[in-house]
Amino acid sequence: MLDAHAVVLSPIEALFLNLSLLCIVAWPMWIAGKSLRPGNDLAMLALLALFATSGRILLDPLPNIQPVTVVVLLVGAHYGASRSVAFASVVAISSNLVLGHGIWTLYQALAWSLVGITGSSLSRIFRNGNSISIRRVGAVAFVAGFAFDWVVSISALHSIPLESFPVYLMVGLPFDLVHATGNLVFAVWLSGPLSEIMTRQSSQSKAVVEPVKNAS
Amino acid sequence: MSDLMKPASIILLVIVVASLPFLQDSVNDEAAKFVSDSESSHDGLPTQWDGKQAICIFFPESNTHPEFSTGVTMIDSDGETIGVNDALNSTGACVGGFEGYEQGMDFMMDATRVAGGLLSVGYTMDPNWGPFVHTIGGLNVDEVQGDFSGAYWSLSHNGEYSMVGIGDLTMSQGDVISWEIATW
Repeated sequence: MLDAHAVVLSPIEALFLNLSLLCIVAWPMWIAGKSLRPGNDLAMLALLALFATSGRILLDPLPNIQPVTVVVLLVGAHYGASRSVAFASVVAISSNLVLGHGIWTLYQALAWSLVGITGSSLSRIFRNGNSISIRRVGAVAFVAGFAFDWVVSISALHSIPLESFPVYLMVGLPFDLVHATGNLVFAVWLSGPLSEIMTRQSSQSKAVVEPVKNAS
Repeated sequence: MSDLMKPASIILLVIVVASLPFLQDSVNDEAAKFVSDSESSHDGLPTQWDGKQAICIFFPESNTHPEFSTGVTMIDSDGETIGVNDALNSTGACVGGFEGYEQGMDFMMDATRVAGGLLSVGYTMDPNWGPFVHTIGGLNVDEVQGDFSGAYWSLSHNGEYSMVGIGDLTMSQGDVISWEIATW
């Protein structure tokens, strides 16, 4: 008898499987997000949290490449600091249910919250006329990749002495660079469409980039 | 504008990911310069191992090794037991007297093999992070239970927490690496 669960996938095959799954997840969310009635921003946040969480879990085969940082940054810019902090913590906890929960979850939630707060305080700067400035979001997202990793690295101080910390950070630099570059890719591809649906759904549109047309 | 940025960003990411092993090697070599010298890490080990490479495995009180449950047994590179050091406030075994190893994983596998299966190593290969050691000398980390979330085999290099995994560890002459159970 054929056992479908016994199929062993190579890492590359698993990655392609996960990328296809992510597209299957993202497409109906995109449709659902567009058809939400204006002002329904909590439903929008829930959809975005599902997208960020599944994106992080499904892209786990890739080193340090995931959409959460950019989505949190955009949520901060469109919905303000307090909602982005809640959003960041929910995504950190729910994705770590699959990826592994531990003391680092606290630091990841903290670091993503800081990214969200940064996004909220830079929301005016992200605005470029009637659209979102992909260049500025990309630049901030790139820097946020390093900053996020360094905040999470503080969790290592539970097991290593302080004087070893600079070396610990140095060893992590290549992975920080991958996170930063991945953020740049997500910012370039996602900030236009995500900003468009978030702006339409936001009930506090004063604080955000609005009215936004898809920047191209 | 963004029409060009989209493919360009993907190409940049592919280049960065492709050069990741090279970048990792570079920073690991740099980090190896900061590993403290190996002299004091030989404290408690047989003097005939001075200037030579050694590996120690320490077992937790809750899960002592059936063969090495009192003191730390010193095993020479030819497999002969030199003696037991009861003054180390720990139980386990050290295998030492090796020379010329440069890669941590090679050294660990060869040195533990000298103990004839008593210290055999179990690990899984992670495509991103390299070998992950889950079992040494029959003790799997999942068997270590207590008032904590989980346990892992923690690697030290010359007495200090290793900044890199065993797969990336560069050994110098006289280096001592040790493994003990840590919890989180």
